[in-house]
Amino acid sequence: MIDFSRVQKELQDCEKDKDASGIRVSPKSDNLTRLTGTIPGPIGTPYEGGTFQIDITIPEGYPFEPPKMQFSTKVWHPNISSQSGAICLDVLKDQWSPALTLKTALVSIQALLSTPEPKDPQDAVVAEQYIKNYQVFVSTARYWTETFAKNSSLEEKVKRLVEMGFGDAQVRSAIESSGGDENLALEKLCSG
Amino acid sequence: MISDSITNASATAAPSARDFAKKKRTNRSAKLKQSKLGLRREQWLSQVAMINKGGDKEEMDSNRKTGSEKPDQRDRPVENLDGQGREEEDNSGTHGHESFMESLSNSPNSILSGMNSIPNFSSSSSSGSGGSCSGNITEEEDADDDECLDDWEAFADALAADDEKHEKENPPESCEEHENVIKQSASPRDSISGSDVAVRDAKLDCPRTMSRKQKSNQAWRPDDKLRPQGLPNLEKQRSFPVMNMHFSSVAVPSSCPICYEDLDLTDSNFLPCPCGFRLCLFCHKTICDGDGRCPGCRKPYERNTVKVEASVQAGGLTIRLARSTSMFCRVVCEYIGWYTNVKYIKLQ
Repeated sequence: MIDFSRVQKELQDCEKDKDASGIRVSPKSDNLTRLTGTIPGPIGTPYEGGTFQIDITIPEGYPFEPPKMQFSTKVWHPNISSQSGAICLDVLKDQWSPALTLKTALVSIQALLSTPEPKDPQDAVVAEQYIKNYQVFVSTARYWTETFAKNSSLEEKVKRLVEMGFGDAQVRSAIESSGGDENLALEKLCSG
Repeated sequence: MISDSITNASATAAPSARDFAKKKRTNRSAKLKQSKLGLRREQWLSQVAMINKGGDKEEMDSNRKTGSEKPDQRDRPVENLDGQGREEEDNSGTHGHESFMESLSNSPNSILSGMNSIPNFSSSSSSGSGGSCSGNITEEEDADDDECLDDWEAFADALAADDEKHEKENPPESCEEHENVIKQSASPRDSISGSDVAVRDAKLDCPRTMSRKQKSNQAWRPDDKLRPQGLPNLEKQRSFPVMNMHFSSVAVPSSCPICYEDLDLTDSNFLPCPCGFRLCLFCHKTICDGDGRCPGCRKPYERNTVKVEASVQAGGLTIRLARSTSMFCRVVCEYIGWYTNVKYIKLQ
């Protein structure tokens, strides 16, 4: 039995200071078991300027069990899987406390973005790059932020795809049919 | 004779206690507490006045008593207190705000249902202590008798000065006696941990009360740290004694931080972890069924222990139950509270 009243109140609290914290939580479904969290990339990191979406699943035992969180936005980070978006963070596992909230958990994730722990990696490839070739890591992370974490306007997307050599009308219909996802639209354009 | 006076005192105090309890139920906000400050002051003043008037009577009482009676006296007030305390608990409406202790400390944490009966004895019980505890009062009354002081402040000053002299003559004795009395009184109730707790708390208590004595040349200086919190014109941000710091610094939340439900009186007096993290009993139970770690500090809760934490705060007593699993805690609290009160009254 999930304590929905607590989730509801947490959502209200988040809504109150979303401008100050930049952190938003919104329900995906009506029953509040699946939510979407949004955090801004920390300033002074390769993730600056990006907006990262996190899928949140509220388990049965919440708040006595940690919420399940993983990135839906692709991130290049030693402690976040570049494939699945799974997060390696202690407060989402054994160090969870019922006194923590969805918002504080998201703040912790935001802090993780600015202080990677390559010695306890989730993504070994990224961690290796972070240790052996930090500059390459930074540029890759920045590129991923630019590519996946920035909400560009429709016109910018159209412009980029037109530059690739597709027709303007074709591009617009492809973007529309793929729900605004630039990469999905590109795939559609390429496949036919 | 003493027992009669105690019963009478508490009987007269009971209606007003009920009155206070009603008010408390209907209005639990902090605003009300503020408005009660005036009443508390009156109460406090009247108690001091009662001692002032009762000085003659006390003297007569204690003069009449011979040495052989003393052990009896020591036991009798305790028995009486015990019975009376239970009576009060049964009434259950007579909680909290009447408490003399609370009026002194004015801390929302210090509302403890077990303490409710204390003020009723404070005025009358001092006569019992005059014979049994140290005998200080008897001599003091002799000294002050013919002066017929009307002003309670002047009276308090005189007493304090007098007390100081006695303290210099034999400071450790009163402290020891205090402990012994508590040991005696606690042992029939609970043979194991109760007396230990009481004695430990008495030790905590003694140096503090003594320091109060040494400091007080006036009744209460405005900058006196130990000035009762219930008195008006209080600066809100005044810091509490350091000993009590880790409790006072943690404000009692109005709702449980886990389930976001409002904390009731029991919940807000429930302090399961020394880190000061408060939560409601339901959430505590759920956590104990799981990994049993405090959400505030992640340390495991101590299981199956009964902890009574007591400390003297501004001359009053603040007691918190760590786990209210047993009724005897209340009784121990009453003993501690009563003897502290006796000491306190003596200081006036």
